[in-house]
Amino acid sequence: MELVGTVVGIVIKSLIFIIGMFLGAAYLTLLERKFAGHVQQRPGPLHVGPHGLLQPIADALKVLTKEDLVPNSVDRVLFYLASLMAFVPAIMILAVVPFGEPFTIFGLEIKPYITDLNVAVLLALAFGSLSIYGVIFAGWASNSKYPMIGGLRKAAVLIGYEVALGFALVGPIMMAGSFSLREIVEAQQNMWFIIPNILAFVVVIFSILAETGRTPFDVQEAEAELVGGYITEYTGMKFGLFPLAEWYIATFVLSAITVIMFFGGWNPPPLLGWLPIPAFVWFSVKVFLLFMFFLWVHWTLPRYRVDQITEIAWKVMLPLALANIFIVAIWIIIFG
Amino acid sequence: MHLWIDGQDLDQIKKSFDSVEISRSENFVSVQINKEKLLELLSFLKDKLGYKMFIDFFCMDFPVQSPRFQGVYLLFNPEKMRRVAVKCWAEGDSLPSATKLWKGIKWAEREAWDMFGVRFEGHENLVRMFMWETYQHHPLRKDFPLRGHGEVYLPPLSGEESPAHNYSPYHTALPTMEDLEITQKKRLPEKKAQIVLNWGPLHPGTHGTIWFLFDMEGEEVKECDIILGQLHRGVEKIAENITYTQFIPYTDRMDYISALCSQVAYVNAVEKHLGVEPTEKAKYIRTMMCELQRINSHLLWLGTYALDLGALTIFLYTFREREKIMDIIEGIAGIRLNSTYIRIGGVAKDLPEGALDVIEHFLNDFPQRLKEYETILTKNRVWLRRNVDVGVITREDVYSYGLTGAVARASGVPYDVRMFQPTDAYGDVDFDVPLGKVGDSYDRYLVRVEEMRQSVRIIKQCVKVLRQMEGESYINTEHPFVLPTLDQVFNSIEAMVKDFNLRIYGEKLPEGEIYLSGENPRGELGFYINSKGEGRPYRLRVRSGAFYNLQVFTELIKGRTVADAVVLLGSLDPVVGETDR
Repeated sequence: MELVGTVVGIVIKSLIFIIGMFLGAAYLTLLERKFAGHVQQRPGPLHVGPHGLLQPIADALKVLTKEDLVPNSVDRVLFYLASLMAFVPAIMILAVVPFGEPFTIFGLEIKPYITDLNVAVLLALAFGSLSIYGVIFAGWASNSKYPMIGGLRKAAVLIGYEVALGFALVGPIMMAGSFSLREIVEAQQNMWFIIPNILAFVVVIFSILAETGRTPFDVQEAEAELVGGYITEYTGMKFGLFPLAEWYIATFVLSAITVIMFFGGWNPPPLLGWLPIPAFVWFSVKVFLLFMFFLWVHWTLPRYRVDQITEIAWKVMLPLALANIFIVAIWIIIFG
Repeated sequence: MHLWIDGQDLDQIKKSFDSVEISRSENFVSVQINKEKLLELLSFLKDKLGYKMFIDFFCMDFPVQSPRFQGVYLLFNPEKMRRVAVKCWAEGDSLPSATKLWKGIKWAEREAWDMFGVRFEGHENLVRMFMWETYQHHPLRKDFPLRGHGEVYLPPLSGEESPAHNYSPYHTALPTMEDLEITQKKRLPEKKAQIVLNWGPLHPGTHGTIWFLFDMEGEEVKECDIILGQLHRGVEKIAENITYTQFIPYTDRMDYISALCSQVAYVNAVEKHLGVEPTEKAKYIRTMMCELQRINSHLLWLGTYALDLGALTIFLYTFREREKIMDIIEGIAGIRLNSTYIRIGGVAKDLPEGALDVIEHFLNDFPQRLKEYETILTKNRVWLRRNVDVGVITREDVYSYGLTGAVARASGVPYDVRMFQPTDAYGDVDFDVPLGKVGDSYDRYLVRVEEMRQSVRIIKQCVKVLRQMEGESYINTEHPFVLPTLDQVFNSIEAMVKDFNLRIYGEKLPEGEIYLSGENPRGELGFYINSKGEGRPYRLRVRSGAFYNLQVFTELIKGRTVADAVVLLGSLDPVVGETDR
């Protein structure tokens, strides 16, 4: 009986998370378009609904009702699989992201996370790496030259930054002594992990930009060079899933993990703990600010060349991440 | 201002070559030589007399004569700032190839083969320039069937037969897919590396319809060729069948981004040959409009260049300012893009009331905006990484390829037509010519940004002068070959008769030749006009800066990646309307 209750609880929670993420991602597109509009001194979406608020719905309807064209010469199985492979792992990471402390409503204890694994960080990294298959499948299955080059570029970039990202996250894990994201947050009640881990934070920012394909690292779909990169041959919702997964869901989830690892998760900022603001709001504000930071970078900078990106990954980011581990180790020896 | 070879050099030529015929006129000095001695004379001019910069090569067709075709080489001496033309009859419809002397002549010879069917002995890969390989005709020959072909089967574009194309019994020939495949095969005779990437003709990075063939090893481009001609309209052929005034709108549509500059370059050539002197006011208006157009064009370039490199926001910033210039041009000329504002003898309309105030307001605002773009780009690390040391063009390359415009100046060659051949009011205004040091993409960026500042300077001086010229005449209608204004046509019978005559029979240019060029935002746009004393040109050649600037791309891209192709193409800044003509 208890098992059934848990299963039902988890299913309901998962549904809430997934649907919430879908709607959230849809509105993140609006956020990005509004933000880009204001950066570029234009109003952005304005006409669908009040102040353009229904624009994501209209976009979704448009994409969903598009004709689903599949070119003749593609590898059909992989072609369909690719869009799922890009999308599903990105949303799976949500399973281990805690949005706040457990709280009680009407005598029922609710945990605002799906599961609290003791290997949560590893799982998040693993799912993050899985999404590369979506890109490679899409590039290969399209049976066309531009997607092929786009997929190869992305694969090269991801391999470099996965390594750096993995090493960069070692620092906070060492300090918390746990792989569980919840415990990492709890370990930051007195001081955020950004303090000794500043190098790792820099590496993580670069890695997220590279993994989610945002400028200056958006080489895989550099439209001036490769038309649409690996999504050139896709249409309709299959086409829509890639940017949705990469630009919004992955960026959002990775921002959340960065906040958890470096900015104390739902802990209030130092000296502001007396404010009557719930933990969930603190968490959201931090994630939102980090997400806006990525948008800001995206809409300002030009893009690197692919060999320069991998060069940065191996020659700059990896040594920085390793240096960070040493700094943290010394920090732990000195301050306990 | 005499820009042609001086007597001293001509004497030297005469001394060394006894078979030359020299014809001198005010606007064109040519040295004619027979085919055997041609290469000898060209290398003598290049090495001994310093005429080392290649400007243009083209052919002319004289169907009743034998030999029928004549090749004309235009060369330039960068030290003395002098030009010379070398003419040679193509005996047996062929000429020796000069690709060993100037690399830039490669495409020009291909164009001559395409358009006239003149062969070049020793050319490495003599394929057509604009038309497809299986095309039957050579369009610029005088016997080309202008009416089109009757009863030619037109392949339907979709799979099924549809009568959409069959509205006229006469039409131009169309290439089929097989024709295009043959064309592609001829350009890259053998595939050397892994894949051949068709970059274009319709591709967001190519700024129009250029078809690049990249033979790639991974992402590295080993071999490259460019298939032009998707926008080829045969402007030079069209010119032979219409009057000089009628041709002005066609110059707009060549380089549609800097239409006013093209008009000014063309009209100047016609005026110089006709002996028309435009009024002072018209000269200043032309200079001002040209420089406005130059800022306009460079802004478009900056926006799209940054867009290609992924900086999405700059694009909208530059278009904000470009829109203001567009409004100014629309207010003055009545049309935004293809303005057709310049007329032989002056300009089409007087400046409207308040135009100078608007321009002045824009000039006060613009330098700050320019600073804004520069804060985002000039010292940006990513921008530097993408641009510095990419596509280095040496001074020798500039001379050898005939590069002009900002591309030449970024390599440190002070080649600015406005400086050494000041047409209109350029002689009376004060401006600097910015020069680069290295000749890479970053220098080209800096040079163009600085050019915008200099343009602002020129416009300011023009506005100052124009303020005192209110009420003066803007077109010199007293000259017998200048169209009267609309007002005059409606109010006087003489003007009406003159208007009728000129519109029907055209401006009768005296017999002779002229080559005159203007400094377009994309390089030297030259017009060679050969007149037989009729109302229309016998041969009109357009020396396009973008065409020769684009040619160096095939060399620069070798050993670089596709990502660099965007940088190189952007920094060379071709416009397909002008490369294809």
